[in-house]
Amino acid sequence: MCLGIPMRIVSIEGYNARCEARGVMREVSLFMLQDEAITTGDYVMVHVGYALQQMTEQEARSSWELLDELLAHDPDVQTG
Amino acid sequence: MKSAQHWLDSIRALPLASRVRIMNVCGGHERSISMAGLRSALPRNVELIPGPGCPVCVCPEEDVHFAMQLALHAGVILAAFGDMLRVPVNVPKMEPRSLEQAKAKGADIRPISSPQEALKIARENPVRQVVFFVAGFETTTAPVAAMLMEGVPDNLLLLLSCRLTWPAVAMLLDSEAPGFDALIAPGHVATVMGPGEWGFVVERHGMPAAVAGFSPASLLAAIYSVLRQMQEGKYFLDNCYPEVVRNGGNALAQTHLKNALHVVDANWRGIGIIPASGFELAERFAKYDARKVFAEYETQGRKRSGEMPPGCDCARVVLGKIYPDECRLFNTACTPRHPIGPCMVSDEGACRIWRTG
Repeated sequence: MCLGIPMRIVSIEGYNARCEARGVMREVSLFMLQDEAITTGDYVMVHVGYALQQMTEQEARSSWELLDELLAHDPDVQTG
Repeated sequence: MKSAQHWLDSIRALPLASRVRIMNVCGGHERSISMAGLRSALPRNVELIPGPGCPVCVCPEEDVHFAMQLALHAGVILAAFGDMLRVPVNVPKMEPRSLEQAKAKGADIRPISSPQEALKIARENPVRQVVFFVAGFETTTAPVAAMLMEGVPDNLLLLLSCRLTWPAVAMLLDSEAPGFDALIAPGHVATVMGPGEWGFVVERHGMPAAVAGFSPASLLAAIYSVLRQMQEGKYFLDNCYPEVVRNGGNALAQTHLKNALHVVDANWRGIGIIPASGFELAERFAKYDARKVFAEYETQGRKRSGEMPPGCDCARVVLGKIYPDECRLFNTACTPRHPIGPCMVSDEGACRIWRTG
């Protein structure tokens, strides 16, 4: 469950954001990053539906490559 | 960022005289290591040992049984992360022995993957009580604390089996034979809590340590770091996951943890009580505590309560004392399809990873 997913913020409403990763959209809470300056288009590391930390696009892309490999390997893996 | 091949070449160039045992304490790390085949790529005298990195594996059997009683007899909706559902408990034959089997008997049990889904279920069912049974490390516990601080409906209760990761490592290091020579610290736990909480490994125990991310390159960078530290005799806590691990971690997440929960002594399945390694709800959230609200459903005197299944060596696997394939049930009686011990159930369990990875 500690496997985080990097996601791109598509829209923000209050503490909640619509985020996208590899074409999948999810609701993500920004409640743990509310002190940060975060805007649409930024990337965040998401774990169990909560953004843990901001990251750059390049960092997000390298994590996605890893994630794609993981999912290809064991489709049952829970990605939180 | 340098490539995995770069770090592998750097590791191979190090003059390693003796065996070095490097422990990781994160199921995500172990999965990446297994999947990328890092063990066979590294020099033979570098051993990678999976340690306590799976919250489902150390969740007390009593807690799973209690969650089942609530789902079967208290009329609640029980929400839990998917991989909790198949953890078997010790009950007489004919009784449901997992949440999954309780669900098949008609209990309203819903697998979820986020605290937000538990919130949604509670809001959609205002006349029902919803119990969110949550096992997790800091990466999951901080979101649960954030959910509480943001505000939850009165019908959402929590059954917490959350644990801190570092106290298990501290317990191992304080024991007579820790069984490892260097530590790879968990990247997302450090993202939340800051890398500093792993400083004790270096300062108190004179052991090299490095925080790693989940790519083979980051893991190999951390492995190189601890080997190089040993080579030079200069130990420090390295951060090989600077993309998201910042000094101090996520301060707001830590504030939520402090305000919503208290750190308490906690039982680790098959291991026993580890001081200050678990959480309970702070007094202000006591009315959301399923342990208090449903105290009468705690069963006393159940046969083999809390024990591992007969023949199951999960506890020693979790502590890194043996490798998964050294358990005699591994891949014989205990498989991902028919798991006996929790390490074969969870995606983060070393046995399941070794079997599927």
